Amino acid sequence: MKHDFIDSHSDINSVIHRLDPRAKAILIIAMVISIVLTNPKALISFALYGFLILILIFLSKIPISYILKRFIMVMPFILLIAIFLPFIKDGEALWSHSIFGFDLKITYEGLIIFWNVLIKALLSMLCMTLLIASTKFTHLLKALGDLKLPKIFIMIFSFMYRYIFVLQDELEKLKRAKDSRSAGKRRWLNIKALSNMLGVLFIKSYEKGETVYLAMCSRGFDGNVKLLEYNKLAFSDIIFIVVILMFLVFINVFGRF
Amino acid sequence: MKKVIEIRELGYSYPDGTTALKDINLNVFENETLGIIGPNGAGKSTFLLHLNGLLQGKGYISILDIELKEKNLKKIRSKIGIVFQDPDSQLFMPTVFEDVAFGPMYMGLSKDDVKKLVTDALDRVDMTWAMDKLSHHLSYGEKRRVSIATVLSMSPEILVLDEPSSNLDPKHRRNLINLLKELKITKLIATHDLDMVFDICTRVVLIDDGKIIADGNVNDILSDKALLESHGLEVPLSVVLGEK
Repeated sequence: MKHDFIDSHSDINSVIHRLDPRAKAILIIAMVISIVLTNPKALISFALYGFLILILIFLSKIPISYILKRFIMVMPFILLIAIFLPFIKDGEALWSHSIFGFDLKITYEGLIIFWNVLIKALLSMLCMTLLIASTKFTHLLKALGDLKLPKIFIMIFSFMYRYIFVLQDELEKLKRAKDSRSAGKRRWLNIKALSNMLGVLFIKSYEKGETVYLAMCSRGFDGNVKLLEYNKLAFSDIIFIVVILMFLVFINVFGRF
Repeated sequence: MKKVIEIRELGYSYPDGTTALKDINLNVFENETLGIIGPNGAGKSTFLLHLNGLLQGKGYISILDIELKEKNLKKIRSKIGIVFQDPDSQLFMPTVFEDVAFGPMYMGLSKDDVKKLVTDALDRVDMTWAMDKLSHHLSYGEKRRVSIATVLSMSPEILVLDEPSSNLDPKHRRNLINLLKELKITKLIATHDLDMVFDICTRVVLIDDGKIIADGNVNDILSDKALLESHGLEVPLSVVLGEK
Protein backbone atom coordinates (compact mmCIF):
# COMPACT_ATOMS: atom_id res chain seq x y z
CA MET A 1 0.00 0.00 0.00
CA LYS A 2 1.19 3.46 -0.79
CA HIS A 3 1.24 6.18 1.76
CA ASP A 4 2.50 9.66 1.31
CA PHE A 5 2.72 12.07 4.06
CA ILE A 6 5.24 14.39 5.66
CA ASP A 7 7.02 15.01 2.36
CA SER A 8 4.49 14.68 -0.43
CA HIS A 9 5.68 17.88 -2.16
CA SER A 10 9.37 17.09 -1.94
CA ASP A 11 9.70 16.06 -5.59
CA ILE A 12 9.06 19.48 -7.11
CA ASN A 13 11.99 20.92 -9.03
CA SER A 14 12.63 24.41 -7.68
CA VAL A 15 15.44 26.60 -6.39
CA ILE A 16 14.48 25.77 -2.83
CA HIS A 17 14.25 22.04 -3.47
CA ARG A 18 17.65 22.01 -5.15
CA LEU A 19 19.36 23.60 -2.16
CA ASP A 20 21.51 21.33 -0.07
CA PRO A 21 19.33 20.13 2.82
CA ARG A 22 22.03 21.22 5.25
CA ALA A 23 21.98 24.75 3.88
CA LYS A 24 18.21 24.76 4.16
CA ALA A 25 18.23 23.45 7.71
CA ILE A 26 20.81 26.05 8.80
CA LEU A 27 18.85 28.86 7.16
CA ILE A 28 15.51 27.90 8.59
CA ILE A 29 16.96 27.48 12.06
CA ALA A 30 18.67 30.87 11.75
CA MET A 31 15.41 32.43 10.63
CA VAL A 32 13.49 30.91 13.52
CA ILE A 33 16.08 32.12 16.04
CA SER A 34 16.06 35.57 14.49
CA ILE A 35 12.25 35.71 14.59
CA VAL A 36 12.12 34.59 18.20
CA LEU A 37 14.65 37.23 19.27
CA THR A 38 12.79 40.10 17.60
CA ASN A 39 11.31 42.84 19.75
CA PRO A 40 7.53 42.26 19.92
CA LYS A 41 6.84 45.90 19.08
CA ALA A 42 8.94 45.87 15.89
CA LEU A 43 6.00 45.50 13.54
CA ILE A 44 8.01 46.29 10.42
CA SER A 45 10.43 43.46 11.19
CA PHE A 46 7.58 40.98 11.36
CA ALA A 47 6.16 42.25 8.12
CA LEU A 48 9.57 41.83 6.48
CA TYR A 49 9.92 38.31 7.85
CA GLY A 50 6.51 37.45 6.48
CA PHE A 51 7.48 38.92 3.15
CA LEU A 52 10.74 36.94 3.09
CA ILE A 53 8.96 33.67 3.90
CA LEU A 54 6.32 34.31 1.26
CA ILE A 55 9.03 34.86 -1.33
CA LEU A 56 10.71 31.61 -0.31
CA ILE A 57 7.41 29.72 -0.48
CA PHE A 58 6.75 31.25 -3.88
CA LEU A 59 10.23 30.18 -5.05
CA SER A 60 9.63 26.64 -3.81
CA LYS A 61 6.52 26.27 -6.02
CA ILE A 62 4.75 24.47 -3.20
CA PRO A 63 1.00 25.24 -3.37
CA ILE A 64 0.18 27.79 -0.70
CA SER A 65 -2.97 25.81 0.12
CA TYR A 66 -0.81 22.88 1.19
CA ILE A 67 1.27 25.06 3.50
CA LEU A 68 -1.87 26.62 4.97
CA LYS A 69 -3.41 23.20 5.59
CA ARG A 70 -0.35 22.07 7.50
CA PHE A 71 -0.36 25.32 9.32
CA ILE A 72 -4.01 25.13 10.36
CA MET A 73 -3.36 21.70 11.84
CA VAL A 74 -0.84 23.13 14.28
CA MET A 75 -2.53 26.44 15.00
CA PRO A 76 -5.04 25.14 17.61
CA PHE A 77 -2.18 24.00 19.84
CA ILE A 78 -0.58 27.41 19.73
CA LEU A 79 -3.88 29.18 20.34
CA LEU A 80 -4.65 26.90 23.25
CA ILE A 81 -1.44 27.96 24.95
CA ALA A 82 -1.59 31.62 23.97
CA ILE A 83 -5.27 32.30 24.70
CA PHE A 84 -4.80 32.52 28.47
CA LEU A 85 -1.82 34.85 28.34
CA PRO A 86 -3.75 38.16 28.22
CA PHE A 87 -5.56 37.19 31.43
CA ILE A 88 -2.66 36.19 33.65
CA LYS A 89 -0.17 38.97 33.09
CA ASP A 90 -0.36 41.76 35.68
CA GLY A 91 -0.57 45.32 34.49
CA GLU A 92 -2.90 48.05 33.40
CA ALA A 93 -6.35 46.56 32.76
CA LEU A 94 -7.98 47.26 29.41
CA TRP A 95 -11.09 45.24 30.12
CA SER A 96 -12.34 43.58 33.25
CA HIS A 97 -15.32 41.57 34.29
CA SER A 98 -16.29 39.72 37.38
CA ILE A 99 -17.77 36.23 37.23
CA PHE A 100 -18.63 34.15 40.31
CA GLY A 101 -16.40 36.33 42.41
CA PHE A 102 -13.40 35.94 40.11
CA ASP A 103 -11.98 39.05 38.57
CA LEU A 104 -11.21 38.56 34.90
CA LYS A 105 -9.13 41.26 33.29
CA ILE A 106 -7.20 41.70 30.12
CA THR A 107 -4.06 43.76 30.46
CA TYR A 108 -2.09 45.68 27.90
CA GLU A 109 1.09 43.79 28.82
CA GLY A 110 -0.76 40.50 28.50
CA LEU A 111 -1.98 41.42 25.04
CA ILE A 112 1.57 42.25 23.98
CA ILE A 113 2.72 38.81 25.10
CA PHE A 114 -0.23 37.21 23.34
CA TRP A 115 0.63 38.99 20.10
CA ASN A 116 4.30 38.16 20.61
CA VAL A 117 3.66 34.43 21.01
CA LEU A 118 1.15 34.32 18.22
CA ILE A 119 3.12 36.13 15.52
CA LYS A 120 6.38 34.39 16.36
CA ALA A 121 4.76 30.97 16.40
CA LEU A 122 3.03 31.75 13.14
CA LEU A 123 6.19 32.86 11.34
CA SER A 124 8.32 30.05 12.79
CA MET A 125 5.70 27.50 11.81
CA LEU A 126 5.69 28.79 8.25
CA CYS A 127 9.49 28.46 8.14
CA MET A 128 9.40 24.91 9.48
CA THR A 129 6.58 23.89 7.16
CA LEU A 130 8.58 25.18 4.23
CA LEU A 131 11.65 23.22 5.33
CA ILE A 132 9.78 19.97 5.86
CA ALA A 133 7.63 20.26 2.76
CA SER A 134 10.48 21.06 0.42
CA THR A 135 12.95 18.42 1.64
CA LYS A 136 12.76 14.65 1.39
CA PHE A 137 12.48 13.32 4.92
CA THR A 138 15.47 11.05 4.42
CA HIS A 139 17.59 13.95 3.19
CA LEU A 140 16.49 16.07 6.09
CA LEU A 141 17.58 13.36 8.51
CA LYS A 142 20.95 13.09 6.83
CA ALA A 143 21.36 16.85 6.93
CA LEU A 144 20.54 16.96 10.63
CA GLY A 145 23.04 14.14 11.18
CA ASP A 146 25.69 16.14 9.39
CA LEU A 147 24.82 19.14 11.53
CA LYS A 148 25.77 16.99 14.54
CA LEU A 149 22.37 16.05 15.86
CA PRO A 150 23.18 12.88 17.86
CA LYS A 151 23.17 9.88 15.53
CA ILE A 152 20.97 7.86 17.83
CA PHE A 153 18.14 10.38 17.24
CA ILE A 154 18.65 10.18 13.50
CA MET A 155 18.45 6.40 13.70
CA ILE A 156 15.26 6.53 15.77
CA PHE A 157 13.65 9.01 13.36
CA SER A 158 14.61 6.93 10.35
CA PHE A 159 13.14 3.78 11.90
CA MET A 160 10.02 5.73 12.72
CA TYR A 161 9.73 6.91 9.15
CA ARG A 162 10.39 3.41 7.78
CA TYR A 163 8.01 1.52 10.02
CA ILE A 164 5.17 3.94 10.54
CA PHE A 165 3.90 2.83 7.12
CA VAL A 166 4.33 -0.85 7.91
CA LEU A 167 2.38 -0.44 11.13
CA GLN A 168 -0.29 1.55 9.37
CA ASP A 169 -0.73 -1.29 6.86
CA GLU A 170 -0.83 -3.74 9.72
CA LEU A 171 -3.54 -1.75 11.47
CA GLU A 172 -5.57 -1.54 8.28
CA LYS A 173 -5.37 -5.32 7.87
CA LEU A 174 -6.50 -5.86 11.43
CA LYS A 175 -9.33 -3.43 10.97
CA ARG A 176 -10.52 -5.18 7.83
CA ALA A 177 -10.37 -8.56 9.52
CA LYS A 178 -12.43 -7.16 12.37
CA ASP A 179 -14.95 -5.42 10.13
CA SER A 180 -15.50 -8.52 8.04
CA ARG A 181 -16.40 -10.53 11.12
CA SER A 182 -18.37 -8.00 13.12
CA ALA A 183 -21.98 -7.71 12.10
CA GLY A 184 -24.51 -5.51 13.83
CA LYS A 185 -23.96 -2.38 15.82
CA ARG A 186 -22.73 -3.27 19.23
CA ARG A 187 -20.64 -0.26 20.08
CA TRP A 188 -19.20 -1.72 23.25
CA LEU A 189 -17.92 -4.84 21.52
CA ASN A 190 -16.30 -2.61 18.95
CA ILE A 191 -14.38 -0.74 21.59
CA LYS A 192 -13.29 -4.03 23.11
CA ALA A 193 -12.12 -5.27 19.73
CA LEU A 194 -10.26 -2.02 19.21
CA SER A 195 -8.35 -2.38 22.44
CA ASN A 196 -7.44 -5.95 21.49
CA MET A 197 -6.26 -4.72 18.13
CA LEU A 198 -4.01 -2.18 19.77
CA GLY A 199 -2.58 -4.96 21.92
CA VAL A 200 -1.91 -7.12 18.88
CA LEU A 201 -0.35 -4.17 17.12
CA PHE A 202 1.93 -3.54 20.07
CA ILE A 203 3.09 -7.15 20.18
CA LYS A 204 3.59 -7.21 16.44
CA SER A 205 5.72 -4.10 16.49
CA TYR A 206 7.69 -5.49 19.41
CA GLU A 207 8.39 -8.71 17.51
CA LYS A 208 9.16 -6.76 14.36
CA GLY A 209 11.71 -4.84 16.37
CA GLU A 210 13.35 -8.09 17.43
CA THR A 211 13.66 -9.44 13.88
CA VAL A 212 14.86 -6.11 12.58
CA TYR A 213 17.57 -6.17 15.21
CA LEU A 214 18.59 -9.66 14.10
CA ALA A 215 18.68 -8.50 10.49
CA MET A 216 20.85 -5.55 11.52
CA CYS A 217 23.23 -7.78 13.44
CA SER A 218 23.59 -10.17 10.51
CA ARG A 219 24.80 -7.26 8.46
CA GLY A 220 27.43 -6.26 10.93
CA PHE A 221 25.64 -3.82 13.25
CA ASP A 222 27.70 -3.55 16.42
CA GLY A 223 25.76 -1.09 18.51
CA ASN A 224 27.42 2.01 17.07
CA VAL A 225 25.33 4.08 14.73
CA LYS A 226 27.10 4.89 11.48
CA LEU A 227 25.79 7.09 8.71
CA LEU A 228 27.16 7.82 5.28
CA GLU A 229 28.49 11.34 5.02
CA TYR A 230 27.57 14.07 2.61
CA ASN A 231 29.58 15.85 -0.04
CA LYS A 232 30.78 19.40 0.47
CA LEU A 233 28.32 22.26 0.24
CA ALA A 234 28.04 23.69 -3.27
CA PHE A 235 29.02 27.29 -3.99
CA SER A 236 25.41 28.21 -4.77
CA ASP A 237 24.31 26.89 -1.37
CA ILE A 238 26.83 29.11 0.36
CA ILE A 239 25.69 32.12 -1.65
CA PHE A 240 22.10 31.43 -0.72
CA ILE A 241 22.99 31.14 2.97
CA VAL A 242 24.92 34.41 2.86
CA VAL A 243 22.13 36.29 1.08
CA ILE A 244 19.45 35.14 3.49
CA LEU A 245 21.64 35.75 6.53
CA MET A 246 22.32 39.31 5.31
CA PHE A 247 18.62 39.79 4.86
CA LEU A 248 18.02 38.62 8.43
CA VAL A 249 20.64 41.03 9.76
CA PHE A 250 19.07 43.82 7.74
CA ILE A 251 15.62 43.07 9.15
CA ASN A 252 16.99 43.07 12.67
CA VAL A 253 18.87 46.32 12.30
CA PHE A 254 16.00 47.99 10.44
CA GLY A 255 13.49 46.87 13.04
CA ARG A 256 15.35 48.76 15.79
CA PHE A 257 14.36 52.17 14.40
CA MET B 1 35.76 -30.04 -2.66
CA LYS B 2 36.37 -27.32 -0.13
CA LYS B 3 34.30 -27.45 3.02
CA VAL B 4 32.75 -24.03 3.67
CA ILE B 5 30.48 -24.84 6.59
CA GLU B 6 31.17 -27.46 9.17
CA ILE B 7 28.68 -28.17 11.93
CA ARG B 8 29.22 -30.80 14.60
CA GLU B 9 26.67 -31.85 17.20
CA LEU B 10 24.78 -28.60 17.23
CA GLY B 11 22.00 -28.45 19.79
CA TYR B 12 19.78 -25.61 20.91
CA SER B 13 16.95 -25.19 23.39
CA TYR B 14 14.74 -22.13 23.68
CA PRO B 15 14.91 -20.17 26.92
CA ASP B 16 11.72 -21.93 28.07
CA GLY B 17 13.39 -25.33 27.76
CA THR B 18 11.81 -26.56 24.53
CA THR B 19 14.36 -28.35 22.41
CA ALA B 20 14.61 -26.74 18.99
CA LEU B 21 17.66 -28.43 17.49
CA LYS B 22 19.30 -31.72 18.43
CA ASP B 23 22.54 -33.24 17.32
CA ILE B 24 22.89 -31.53 13.94
CA ASN B 25 25.91 -32.66 11.92
CA LEU B 26 26.33 -31.07 8.53
CA ASN B 27 29.05 -30.20 6.07
CA VAL B 28 28.40 -27.81 3.22
CA PHE B 29 30.82 -27.62 0.33
CA GLU B 30 31.87 -24.78 -1.93
CA ASN B 31 29.39 -23.74 -4.65
CA GLU B 32 26.76 -26.14 -3.43
CA THR B 33 23.12 -25.09 -3.46
CA LEU B 34 21.66 -26.76 -0.44
CA GLY B 35 17.91 -26.93 0.08
CA ILE B 36 16.75 -27.14 3.67
CA ILE B 37 13.24 -28.53 3.78
CA GLY B 38 10.87 -29.58 6.51
CA PRO B 39 7.38 -28.90 7.86
CA ASN B 40 6.36 -25.77 9.75
CA GLY B 41 8.07 -25.52 13.10
CA ALA B 42 10.71 -28.10 12.19
CA GLY B 43 13.51 -25.76 13.23
CA LYS B 44 14.66 -24.56 9.81
CA SER B 45 14.70 -20.86 10.67
CA THR B 46 16.20 -21.51 14.10
CA PHE B 47 18.94 -23.47 12.40
CA LEU B 48 19.69 -20.63 9.99
CA LEU B 49 20.03 -18.17 12.86
CA HIS B 50 22.92 -20.26 14.19
CA LEU B 51 24.95 -19.89 11.04
CA ASN B 52 26.10 -16.37 11.84
CA GLY B 53 25.85 -16.59 15.59
CA LEU B 54 22.56 -14.76 16.10
CA LEU B 55 21.62 -17.75 18.23
CA GLN B 56 24.33 -19.70 19.93
CA GLY B 57 23.70 -23.26 20.98
CA LYS B 58 25.89 -26.14 22.03
CA GLY B 59 28.26 -27.74 19.58
CA TYR B 60 30.84 -26.65 17.06
CA ILE B 61 30.33 -24.53 13.96
CA SER B 62 32.97 -23.24 11.62
CA ILE B 63 32.39 -21.04 8.61
CA LEU B 64 35.18 -20.94 6.01
CA ASP B 65 37.52 -22.46 8.58
CA ILE B 66 36.79 -19.73 11.11
CA GLU B 67 35.29 -21.06 14.31
CA LEU B 68 32.04 -19.37 15.26
CA LYS B 69 32.93 -17.53 18.44
CA GLU B 70 32.05 -14.15 19.91
CA LYS B 71 35.34 -12.60 18.76
CA ASN B 72 34.99 -13.87 15.18
CA LEU B 73 31.38 -12.78 14.73
CA LYS B 74 32.15 -9.63 12.77
CA LYS B 75 34.35 -11.47 10.32
CA ILE B 76 31.89 -14.30 9.88
CA ARG B 77 28.92 -11.98 9.37
CA SER B 78 30.66 -10.33 6.45
CA LYS B 79 31.23 -13.74 4.82
CA ILE B 80 27.79 -15.23 5.30
CA GLY B 81 24.77 -13.21 4.30
CA ILE B 82 21.35 -14.07 5.67
CA VAL B 83 18.21 -12.83 3.92
CA PHE B 84 15.23 -12.95 6.25
CA GLN B 85 11.81 -14.05 5.16
CA ASP B 86 9.98 -10.78 5.71
CA PRO B 87 11.40 -8.02 3.49
CA ASP B 88 10.03 -5.47 5.94
CA SER B 89 12.47 -6.80 8.50
CA GLN B 90 15.32 -7.08 6.06
CA LEU B 91 14.83 -3.56 4.72
CA PHE B 92 14.98 -1.37 7.79
CA MET B 93 16.41 1.86 6.40
CA PRO B 94 14.15 4.43 4.73
CA THR B 95 15.73 4.34 1.25
CA VAL B 96 16.92 1.43 -0.86
CA PHE B 97 20.40 2.94 -1.16
CA GLU B 98 20.87 3.29 2.59
CA ASP B 99 19.68 -0.26 3.09
CA VAL B 100 22.04 -1.82 0.59
CA ALA B 101 24.84 0.39 1.92
CA PHE B 102 24.27 -0.68 5.52
CA GLY B 103 26.37 -3.84 5.42
CA PRO B 104 29.35 -2.40 3.52
CA MET B 105 29.31 0.66 5.76
CA TYR B 106 29.75 -1.52 8.83
CA MET B 107 32.60 -3.30 7.10
CA GLY B 108 34.43 -0.01 7.45
CA LEU B 109 34.79 0.73 3.75
CA SER B 110 35.30 4.18 2.27
CA LYS B 111 32.36 6.12 0.90
CA ASP B 112 33.30 5.54 -2.73
CA ASP B 113 33.76 1.80 -2.22
CA VAL B 114 30.40 1.62 -0.50
CA LYS B 115 28.77 3.42 -3.43
CA LYS B 116 30.36 1.08 -5.92
CA LEU B 117 29.32 -2.03 -3.99
CA VAL B 118 25.77 -0.74 -3.72
CA THR B 119 25.53 -0.06 -7.44
CA ASP B 120 26.98 -3.46 -8.28
CA ALA B 121 24.67 -5.31 -5.91
CA LEU B 122 21.58 -3.50 -7.19
CA ASP B 123 22.70 -4.16 -10.72
CA ARG B 124 22.92 -7.90 -10.05
CA VAL B 125 19.28 -7.98 -8.96
CA ASP B 126 18.18 -5.53 -11.67
CA MET B 127 17.06 -2.87 -9.24
CA THR B 128 19.46 0.01 -9.97
CA TRP B 129 16.51 2.18 -10.93
CA ALA B 130 15.15 1.99 -7.40
CA MET B 131 18.29 3.28 -5.69
CA ASP B 132 16.72 6.44 -4.28
CA LYS B 133 13.24 5.00 -3.77
CA LEU B 134 11.73 4.50 -0.36
CA SER B 135 11.51 0.82 0.56
CA HIS B 136 7.84 1.00 1.43
CA HIS B 137 7.00 2.19 -2.06
CA LEU B 138 8.29 -1.01 -3.69
CA SER B 139 6.21 -4.05 -4.56
CA TYR B 140 6.72 -7.29 -2.68
CA GLY B 141 8.78 -8.86 -5.45
CA GLU B 142 10.94 -5.75 -5.70
CA LYS B 143 11.46 -5.74 -1.95
CA ARG B 144 12.64 -9.34 -2.16
CA ARG B 145 15.17 -8.45 -4.82
CA VAL B 146 16.45 -5.50 -2.83
CA SER B 147 16.63 -7.76 0.25
CA ILE B 148 18.98 -10.02 -1.64
CA ALA B 149 21.00 -7.02 -2.80
CA THR B 150 21.43 -5.84 0.80
CA VAL B 151 23.38 -9.02 1.41
CA LEU B 152 25.13 -9.25 -1.97
CA SER B 153 26.64 -5.81 -1.41
CA MET B 154 28.77 -7.32 1.36
CA SER B 155 30.22 -9.76 -1.22
CA PRO B 156 29.48 -12.79 0.94
CA GLU B 157 30.90 -16.20 0.15
CA ILE B 158 27.80 -17.94 1.44
CA LEU B 159 24.23 -16.81 0.88
CA VAL B 160 21.49 -17.99 3.23
CA LEU B 161 17.85 -17.44 2.29
CA ASP B 162 14.81 -18.06 4.45
CA GLU B 163 11.69 -18.80 2.36
CA PRO B 164 12.80 -16.66 -0.60
CA SER B 165 9.84 -17.57 -2.82
CA SER B 166 7.00 -17.15 -0.33
CA ASN B 167 4.26 -14.65 -1.27
CA LEU B 168 5.62 -14.16 -4.78
CA ASP B 169 3.48 -14.47 -7.88
CA PRO B 170 4.66 -17.00 -10.51
CA LYS B 171 6.45 -14.43 -12.62
CA HIS B 172 8.37 -12.91 -9.73
CA ARG B 173 9.07 -16.36 -8.36
CA ARG B 174 10.55 -17.35 -11.70
CA ASN B 175 12.65 -14.17 -11.78
CA LEU B 176 13.93 -14.99 -8.34
CA ILE B 177 14.79 -18.56 -9.30
CA ASN B 178 16.70 -17.32 -12.34
CA LEU B 179 18.49 -14.78 -10.18
CA LEU B 180 19.51 -17.47 -7.69
CA LYS B 181 20.70 -19.72 -10.49
CA GLU B 182 22.95 -16.94 -11.76
CA LEU B 183 24.61 -16.33 -8.41
CA LYS B 184 27.63 -18.56 -8.37
CA ILE B 185 28.27 -18.81 -4.65
CA THR B 186 27.41 -21.33 -1.96
CA LYS B 187 23.71 -21.06 -1.17
CA LEU B 188 21.54 -22.43 1.61
CA ILE B 189 17.82 -22.13 1.00
CA ALA B 190 15.23 -22.98 3.62
CA THR B 191 11.84 -23.36 1.99
CA HIS B 192 8.56 -25.19 1.51
CA ASP B 193 8.72 -24.60 -2.20
CA LEU B 194 9.92 -28.06 -3.22
CA ASP B 195 9.53 -27.32 -6.91
CA MET B 196 12.05 -24.54 -6.52
CA VAL B 197 14.34 -26.86 -4.57
CA PHE B 198 14.07 -29.39 -7.40
CA ASP B 199 14.87 -26.65 -9.87
CA ILE B 200 17.94 -25.07 -8.30
CA CYS B 201 19.34 -27.18 -5.48
CA THR B 202 22.07 -29.76 -5.82
CA ARG B 203 21.56 -31.31 -2.43
CA VAL B 204 18.73 -31.46 0.10
CA VAL B 205 18.61 -31.72 3.87
CA LEU B 206 15.30 -32.70 5.45
CA ILE B 207 14.83 -31.37 8.97
CA ASP B 208 11.98 -32.33 11.27
CA ASP B 209 11.61 -31.97 15.01
CA GLY B 210 15.01 -30.27 15.21
CA LYS B 211 16.88 -33.22 13.75
CA ILE B 212 18.32 -33.98 10.34
CA ILE B 213 16.17 -36.79 8.97
CA ALA B 214 17.72 -37.14 5.55
CA ASP B 215 20.61 -35.63 3.65
CA GLY B 216 21.31 -36.41 0.05
CA ASN B 217 20.90 -35.83 -3.64
CA VAL B 218 17.88 -33.78 -4.77
CA ASN B 219 16.44 -36.47 -7.01
CA ASP B 220 16.69 -39.20 -4.39
CA ILE B 221 15.01 -37.26 -1.60
CA LEU B 222 12.35 -35.42 -3.58
CA SER B 223 11.15 -38.63 -5.21
CA ASP B 224 10.94 -40.55 -1.93
CA LYS B 225 7.19 -40.36 -1.41
CA ALA B 226 7.11 -42.24 1.89
CA LEU B 227 9.87 -40.14 3.45
CA LEU B 228 8.38 -36.80 2.39
CA GLU B 229 4.84 -37.65 3.42
CA SER B 230 5.85 -38.88 6.84
CA HIS B 231 7.31 -35.42 7.47
CA GLY B 232 4.46 -33.25 6.33
CA LEU B 233 5.74 -32.72 2.79
CA GLU B 234 4.80 -34.17 -0.58
CA VAL B 235 6.53 -35.08 -3.80
CA PRO B 236 6.69 -31.88 -5.86
CA LEU B 237 4.71 -31.74 -9.07
CA SER B 238 7.76 -31.12 -11.21
CA VAL B 239 9.18 -34.42 -10.00
CA VAL B 240 5.90 -36.23 -10.68
CA LEU B 241 5.74 -34.76 -14.18
CA GLY B 242 9.38 -35.60 -14.72
CA GLU B 243 10.48 -32.10 -15.71
CA LYS B 244 14.11 -31.03 -15.73
